[in-house]
Amino acid sequence: MTATLLFASTAGAGHGTPQFGSTTFLFALLLVAMIVCLALEEKLHAKKSVIVGLFAVVSLLLAAAVGILPFGDVTLPNGHHIAMPVFIPAIDWGVICIIVGSSIFVDVTSRSGLFTWIAIKLTKASTGDPLKLLWYYGLMTVVFSAVLNNVTAMIIVGSLTGVSLKKLGRMDKLLGFLIIEGLLTNIGGLLTLISSVPNIIVGNAAGISFVKFFIVASPYVAVATVVTLLMGAKLFGIDRLATAEEKKEAAFLVSGFDENDRIENRGLFFFGAVMLLLFILVIATVSVLPVVKLLGMSFVALAFALIMLLCYKHEVDPFYKAVDWDLIIFFMALFVVINVMEHAHVLGLIGKGIAMIIGDGKNSFGTGALLVSSAVFSSVTDNIPLAAMLAQILGAQGVESSSALWWAVVFGANLGGNLTPIGSASTLLAVTIIHKYKLQMSFGAFVKKAFPYAVVQICMATVYVLLLMKLLPAE
Amino acid sequence: MPQVDQFESVFRSAIRDVFHHADPGIHSVLVVTDLDAAGAAALTEKVKVFAAVLGEGEGLSWTVVTGDQFRTTKELQILIEKESPDLICSYRNLHSRAWRFPHSLGEHLDIIVQRVPMPVLVVPHPEAGRAYEHALENTNVVMAATDHLGNDHALVNYAVKFTEPKGKLFLMHIEDDAVFERYLEAISKIPTIDTAEARESLAAQLLKQPRDYVNSCVAVLREAGVPIELKCIVEFGHHLKQYRQHIEKESADLLVMHSKDEDQLAMHGLAYPLAIELREIPILMI
Repeated sequence: MTATLLFASTAGAGHGTPQFGSTTFLFALLLVAMIVCLALEEKLHAKKSVIVGLFAVVSLLLAAAVGILPFGDVTLPNGHHIAMPVFIPAIDWGVICIIVGSSIFVDVTSRSGLFTWIAIKLTKASTGDPLKLLWYYGLMTVVFSAVLNNVTAMIIVGSLTGVSLKKLGRMDKLLGFLIIEGLLTNIGGLLTLISSVPNIIVGNAAGISFVKFFIVASPYVAVATVVTLLMGAKLFGIDRLATAEEKKEAAFLVSGFDENDRIENRGLFFFGAVMLLLFILVIATVSVLPVVKLLGMSFVALAFALIMLLCYKHEVDPFYKAVDWDLIIFFMALFVVINVMEHAHVLGLIGKGIAMIIGDGKNSFGTGALLVSSAVFSSVTDNIPLAAMLAQILGAQGVESSSALWWAVVFGANLGGNLTPIGSASTLLAVTIIHKYKLQMSFGAFVKKAFPYAVVQICMATVYVLLLMKLLPAE
Repeated sequence: MPQVDQFESVFRSAIRDVFHHADPGIHSVLVVTDLDAAGAAALTEKVKVFAAVLGEGEGLSWTVVTGDQFRTTKELQILIEKESPDLICSYRNLHSRAWRFPHSLGEHLDIIVQRVPMPVLVVPHPEAGRAYEHALENTNVVMAATDHLGNDHALVNYAVKFTEPKGKLFLMHIEDDAVFERYLEAISKIPTIDTAEARESLAAQLLKQPRDYVNSCVAVLREAGVPIELKCIVEFGHHLKQYRQHIEKESADLLVMHSKDEDQLAMHGLAYPLAIELREIPILMI
């Protein structure tokens, strides 16, 4: 087989002018197979780290066999050479460190009771009125998705929704609440550079700063949130309480929530709040902070995680265990697969296809088409491989950081998750919570319910990105 | 989804049962006796002194049933339906000599307590001589007992109603340690659950809810300006033994407890053994 592959190979090693041969197509087939397996993750009963890990192993073996991998020492910035396995430099350790650091930081901060305090405060502020509750929970979902991550936001808000609606005797509205919250996680995931993994990958590749990302994304997030909540209230029939008696009873029921229940230590609570604000501030200004800018965002994430861990210095094990190792290993394996695909010129081949769609990157149709196709692709499989692949391709094509194409990928990859329940981890989680409460929600039923929202959000995003094309200054 | 479960637990734990204070409204009392007119009147006078907190001069009406007015439980039931009082006051073993044996409530009381919607104040039998010296004097010290103290507004409201101003009201919740140990024994055989951690967490959680509810009662009654002292007894132990110990230790004048159970015709879990065995002080069965 190796001989056949070697014979068939016309791709050649390295990053020279791409020549697409049978090796390229073989690896392209492998990539398609991996994407299909990821889409069928639930059916295969296999975690994504195992699926992609297996493809990484097979890709590396095949690539080594056909001789397309650049074996040899790695040259460090100081000119030293260091021996390193070929797949180690393939991994974007900056992204991995941001994810590990942020998740530990968020987990420890969460232990201080800060997020549950906010969640319960808002529940009480709603006085138990379903419409107010929908708006408060919706806004909380967006903010938590932006500050934490989509899955954590869905876990916090989704579990609170189940408990509070049960307390209020409004379980008939649970389905609507959970679907809207699931959809809003992907909107909130657009707000900042660190809100979702596609943002981190694309933002890093394009060199977009935290502040610029926020300035560009926030107007869309604000409008899309309001539109989604208005649509949700209308389509799911979530109204205000009608009578004074109903209002009085609802207010009495929510008054039973105690926001201080989980605060074991007041000092830690305030420390957590201050550290969270500081974390956002430092991440936002990392590109201008002396010294820190040299170390980068990944250093900031790890450093803040470590500072928070000092609060529990004798019992850090649970926090290490809580890290989503499936996600981390998935990323590492994914970067390896993408690196192999790059050497096999598969990315070049896809890039050619994308170039046909986007043209010179300055026409509206191409940019819009990239956004919509990214959304459609993200709706059936994980948006992370898509973002990683497109970021690599756009980077290789020398697309400027001010180009709207980056934003087309960001918006498409994030919003595509709202088209189907498997489109993003947070919508999948929303459906899982729905099933936990014994509510019927099939794949088709979710698509039917979510489709109007997703279409409106994607159309709005397309218009917005096309507006950006006109507004963003060329570098 | 362990994390969803974790957060659901966090939010469920944050829900407090908030006490809802309301006057149960006792305007008429029916004293049911098997005595003659003089004996019934004497008993009624004693009860009036004991329950002075209900407010003699505030339109509280007293009706007395003597022994010759009924013989069967059916006749008594008809009498009660006709009077439709807010409170019935009676004692064990009506029209019977079985009061000498502390093993039953007697056929009348046994049925009346379950069949009528209003609370029944069971006072020590006038002839039995088992009552404590302080029994039927006043309601300075009242105890409300339950095996599940939480959202038990009626129980607390009746107990508050019967506690004299500046008196003490004990809200008691005893977790049965035998049941607790049995569950923990089962848990100890499940390898995925840390038994020591389960013991600690479960014990803390079982006691937390009643304590929170008592705190809510304290806050609400303070806000309402009710001049009584609220005390909390929430602990593990043997139900009957523990209740008796506390009643004796605090010289309780009245025990308030539930007797009806929506799920069964029989008396509410703890009520029957307590009503049978605690014959020394009045018991309000709601």
